[in-house]
Amino acid sequence: MSRHHYDDELELAFLDPLQERREFLKLMGASLGLAGLTACVKQPEEHIYPHVRAPEHLVPGRPRFYATSLSRSGVGSGVLVESHEGRPTKIEGNDAHPATGGGTDVWMQADVLSLYDPDRSQLILRRGQPSTWSRFLEEVLPAFGTPTKGRRTALLTGNVTSPTLAAQIEGLKAHLPELRWFQWEAVHQDERRRATTTAFGRPLDVVYDFTKADVVVALDADPLFAEPGSVRYARDAARRRRDPARFSRWYVVEPSPTCTGTFADHRFRAKRTAIGDWVRSIASELGVIPGGAAIPEVAPIVRDLKKAGSRALVVIGPHQPAEVQALAFAINQRLGARDETFTTIAPVAAAPVSHVEELAALTAAMNAGEIESLLVLDKNPIFDAPADLEFEAAYAKVPLRIQVGLYDDETANMSHWHLPSRHALESWSDIKAYDGTVSIVQPLIRPLYSGHSAHELIALLMGGAGQRDHDIVRAHYEKEWGAQLESKWRRVLHDGFVEGSAHAPVSTAPRTAALSKSAPADLEITFAPDPTLWDGSYANNAWLLELPKPITRLSWDNAALMSPATAARLGVKSEDLVTLTVGDRATKAAVYVQPGQADDSVALSLGSGRRRGGRLALEVGFDAQAIRPAKSSWAAPVKVTKTGETYRLASVQEHHKMEGRHLVRQATIAEYAANKDFAKEPDKKVLNLSMYPEPHPNQQGDQWGMSINLNACNGCNACVVACQSENNIPVVGKEEVGRGREMHWLRIDSYFEGDDADPDIHTQPVTCMHCENAPCEVVCPVNATVHSPSGINEMVYNRCVGTRYCSNNCPYKVRRFNFHLYQDWETPSLEPLRNPDVSVRSRGVMEKCTFCIQRIQQARITARKEDRDVRDGEIVTACQGACPTEAITFGNVASPESAVSREKADPRDYTLLREVNTKPRVSYTAKLKNSGLASNRETKE
Amino acid sequence: MSREVARDTAYVPPAPVLGPEETFESVEERISGVVLHRRIDKGWLFGLAVAFGLLQIFFLSVSWLLAKGTGVWGLNIPVGWGFAIINFVWWVGIGHAGTLISAILLLLKQEWRMAIARFAEAMTLFAVACAGMFPILHTGRPWLAYWLIPYPNSMDMWPNFRSPLLWDVFAISTYATVSLLFWFVGLVPDLATMRDRAKHKIAKYIFGILAMGWRGSARHWHRYEVASLILAGLATPLVVSVHTIVSLDFAVSIVPGWHTTVFPPYFVAGAVYSGFAMVLTLVIPVRKIYKLENLITDRHIHNMAKVMLATGLIVAYGYAMEVFVAWYSGVEFEMFMMKNRMTGPYAPFYWALIFCNVLTPQLLWSHKIRSNLIILFVISLIVNVGMWLERFIIVVTSLHRDFLPSSWDMYAGTKWDWGLYIGTIGLFLTLMFLFIRVLPMISIFEVKTLVRPKEKSS
Repeated sequence: MSRHHYDDELELAFLDPLQERREFLKLMGASLGLAGLTACVKQPEEHIYPHVRAPEHLVPGRPRFYATSLSRSGVGSGVLVESHEGRPTKIEGNDAHPATGGGTDVWMQADVLSLYDPDRSQLILRRGQPSTWSRFLEEVLPAFGTPTKGRRTALLTGNVTSPTLAAQIEGLKAHLPELRWFQWEAVHQDERRRATTTAFGRPLDVVYDFTKADVVVALDADPLFAEPGSVRYARDAARRRRDPARFSRWYVVEPSPTCTGTFADHRFRAKRTAIGDWVRSIASELGVIPGGAAIPEVAPIVRDLKKAGSRALVVIGPHQPAEVQALAFAINQRLGARDETFTTIAPVAAAPVSHVEELAALTAAMNAGEIESLLVLDKNPIFDAPADLEFEAAYAKVPLRIQVGLYDDETANMSHWHLPSRHALESWSDIKAYDGTVSIVQPLIRPLYSGHSAHELIALLMGGAGQRDHDIVRAHYEKEWGAQLESKWRRVLHDGFVEGSAHAPVSTAPRTAALSKSAPADLEITFAPDPTLWDGSYANNAWLLELPKPITRLSWDNAALMSPATAARLGVKSEDLVTLTVGDRATKAAVYVQPGQADDSVALSLGSGRRRGGRLALEVGFDAQAIRPAKSSWAAPVKVTKTGETYRLASVQEHHKMEGRHLVRQATIAEYAANKDFAKEPDKKVLNLSMYPEPHPNQQGDQWGMSINLNACNGCNACVVACQSENNIPVVGKEEVGRGREMHWLRIDSYFEGDDADPDIHTQPVTCMHCENAPCEVVCPVNATVHSPSGINEMVYNRCVGTRYCSNNCPYKVRRFNFHLYQDWETPSLEPLRNPDVSVRSRGVMEKCTFCIQRIQQARITARKEDRDVRDGEIVTACQGACPTEAITFGNVASPESAVSREKADPRDYTLLREVNTKPRVSYTAKLKNSGLASNRETKE
Repeated sequence: MSREVARDTAYVPPAPVLGPEETFESVEERISGVVLHRRIDKGWLFGLAVAFGLLQIFFLSVSWLLAKGTGVWGLNIPVGWGFAIINFVWWVGIGHAGTLISAILLLLKQEWRMAIARFAEAMTLFAVACAGMFPILHTGRPWLAYWLIPYPNSMDMWPNFRSPLLWDVFAISTYATVSLLFWFVGLVPDLATMRDRAKHKIAKYIFGILAMGWRGSARHWHRYEVASLILAGLATPLVVSVHTIVSLDFAVSIVPGWHTTVFPPYFVAGAVYSGFAMVLTLVIPVRKIYKLENLITDRHIHNMAKVMLATGLIVAYGYAMEVFVAWYSGVEFEMFMMKNRMTGPYAPFYWALIFCNVLTPQLLWSHKIRSNLIILFVISLIVNVGMWLERFIIVVTSLHRDFLPSSWDMYAGTKWDWGLYIGTIGLFLTLMFLFIRVLPMISIFEVKTLVRPKEKSS
């Protein structure tokens, strides 16, 4: 037996409890015998000696950063990954990457936990039993062998943007001419492709430029959070709202409150199936199509659009029907916005096809018995295929089903073979960003488990056994770059992207569009990717599960969101369990009454309600896929019936009214022009007297402070996950969140102001305020929380005995207590995830935001060694670095030139709860609304 | 010692503090007999068994707490304090009656106190023992709670002397020490009596050791009088200081509903109020069962009821002032806090508190009700409940909705919260049951001073 085979057999003998005893003894005997012979048996490579000559730049205790790219629904986002002695621990934005501009989102931040997820699939499974690679090769390879020409075989992948993988698949198709390739993404762009085909003559991707847009009308779109390129868009949009003189104006019409909706100056509620009427009204007012406006609210919008002309932009959501989108593009065309505020580019996807049609075709082929072997690459169609395709039944008819995936999920369970896949941080690949920019994906760590990358598997099918993904990707670029390969390869790996690889704008002749009157459903259900779990691919990520969803602030579960009026009409309230029926399919879901939701529109996000694929994913949420139709993937008429049962939801915020307190301060541009100090107005009467000398005599050196721009914040949550990742913050679970014991050091409060049904929505990040008069410090009996000379309210975990007095006395309630042993001290795979610069806290101690003191100290040490002061901007807190909108500024408030001092010098600067006289080091910049409707929504106070 | 004073005054008490037919011998026998001669009856055994059963709940709750962490309780952020602190304040308050009776009334030469002082002091001690456990157990890491004590250590760390919790450590430990000493010093002459009267060898031996060689010489009596006066002098400020400092735990903070200057006097009055309620709760059945009506007379009961009424009125004034100041301050957070107490989710508790602590004691204006032991017993129970509710309202309703509405949350005790509370009641009752059977529950020698020799009175 070959050595490789022998290893496999032995491994299996240990794994398989049903292994014949005789067989097992035989193997053990053989291994003993071979051990006696020794030398010819290769020992595992285990290096335990220290570096005699350390690799250049490798300083123990000093992290290194590598550029790579992470993928969501196939589209890449450039990142830098922090690596401590070879362990990736934290994701940072890549400032140089054109597609992100340095920001991040929740999924990028949380991906590092997915890498270490202990529930990841670790073994090759054959019919659910552990098996081996050699057996896989024996049994599966012949089905795809050259003589078959790929007859009756098929390949199912996600959205492929990787140039290497696309080329490989092309090669495979040449090698096996009859192999059929299908693509499927639950969060697909089918309607966008159809719309661009209608409007521009061919499928195109749309890239917005919010730096140029003076007036933006977003119709059922969430470009600042949920679209490819959102990180960049959020940054651009926020930059246009820093200078009151260059303020853009945003109108948003949407069925369910989104981050873009909270960011907007004017937000209107409309059913998803009624957005078409809005588009038609705007189009007819602009003369794009004949007829008059049916919706009176569009008059001021159209006035603004006309005024802005080519500097206006109508952003239409990808979930709208193609005809509606096409009409919106026609509006943009009429405004002259094309190539001004947006461009159209060749699709980023290698093969821009309709995913629903592809999956339907695959299902039909499987049902017809045309497919005998199916290889599913990193997809979970049993969970996320549209319910009415009955994919599961069809899949069961395929004689040989192979799935490669990160988790032993629903599809793995239905497959004959399951191979563990590789996480992006342990494999070589390449990927395109939303604008076509190519990035090389490089591994930060050797594969934790015996995973197989898509590149290697495709190469295997082409007869290239044993090829490594690094060589495959490099070989692809060798063809492209030729002699320059080495220098360019190094450059690209360093930068994280291929310079100038973004797709060039495509100009095509526009076509005229027409739209018949839409027929809104009486009661619609809308589907959307979940703001934390996306399409379910992050369903076992504990950080994302616990992360409160923006605005609703629901943790762990998704829910059927309804407006107060709709809930009243249906006779339901929050936490009632209802049955949602679409066509002849039904699913159960808990109701959550959400102000700002359009009437007669129920929103249920995708990705929850998993049946398999990790321990955490199973317990929570409701399966939207179970009722999601293939034909209308994003909205459908629904019937809601009460079940009489209730379901407990865990929300981290029970109360969303400000109770007349001046927490989020806001004014219109006009009000601001009249009174620059409006944000300080509520504090005019406050006398902040003190018996102590000021500033405090202990203060010396740099004084750290933070400014948070509420105008820029759209509540996307990236900072919350970044903080969790940086500071080793534990996950407590749904039960504990329900008891009010979540541990996030940084939270994003949401407030609803004004009308209950249609409120102004505010988001407000709240961290430890690092008060100069900190109420927590006085009351701690053991001096566990003390003030540093540079103004940081420090928390000494070792000294804390856990009286919780500090938390009671904290008016901002930002302190977090380890009521139980929340930190996982046992799971080995989670150990390398932790930031070695931050203590891992145990039971019974208080913790809270430290201003990322480990980063401050690192910078101070460096500065001292170089005999200089810490430079402004040298210290970037985790939240600040993650923020896509640059809402957070950190620095030395003692220096008037620092960025944070400049922010704080803004007349709109105010501190929270000034009347308590805590003198916070964190201050807020009040919100400005570029109100276009004089009568509508007077800002309060 | 106070006999001369009583004789000098022309004032004739409205009711006797001692039954007229009692003699030195009868007093001695009646009190010591409970310990020495009375057989272990089924009622006592049953009561002890129940109390001991509850004590097991205490051990179970503490074990579970230490094994699993503070999370077994209903606490959260924002409500970082709950049952533990409520129960702590409640028990400390209950203890106050004992010290008040034994120390302040001693200094004021109120001779009616003699019959109930020992009993009330024991109650104080046991209540303080129950109370003292809560602040330790409620910490996240109880095994490190000793860090609150200022002691020289290798870390060169001192506790934070600005924190009221540290003041608490001093206040409670001093209080416990002085109460214990005062109680024991007062016991010494009686322990000698017990030693002399005991028939059983072992009892004689034990009482003998505890009596510390008391022979009743003039010098002994002199030393005793001096010591008890000094201790009474020490204990008197403690009556005021302990609950003042407990109240400062709240008043020093900035939480609306806690940050109130009325707290110290109002807490002290509340403590005395609840203390007397607890004494009544215990004394009414005990005096009936052990036929001590001649020693603990109706006059005692009346006086205690009057003290309850008076302190109850002070407490009511405190409630009124909280409302007034919340309005008068003009601070929106204060006003909201008061509105939330009265109409928020915990409003039923607030109004129940007003019923228990403000309305119910008004019945005590009536002499008839003060004379009805059953009604009085019920009132004392209601006041005990009311004082617990008061602490619940102060601790929970202030915290659960403070400055930022985003952090508002609800609080409810879990079974382990209740377990520990009921468990400390078990501890208290167990100690109480043991006390009345092993020590003279009434001061023999003091009550003897109240006996009027027959020949002189006739």
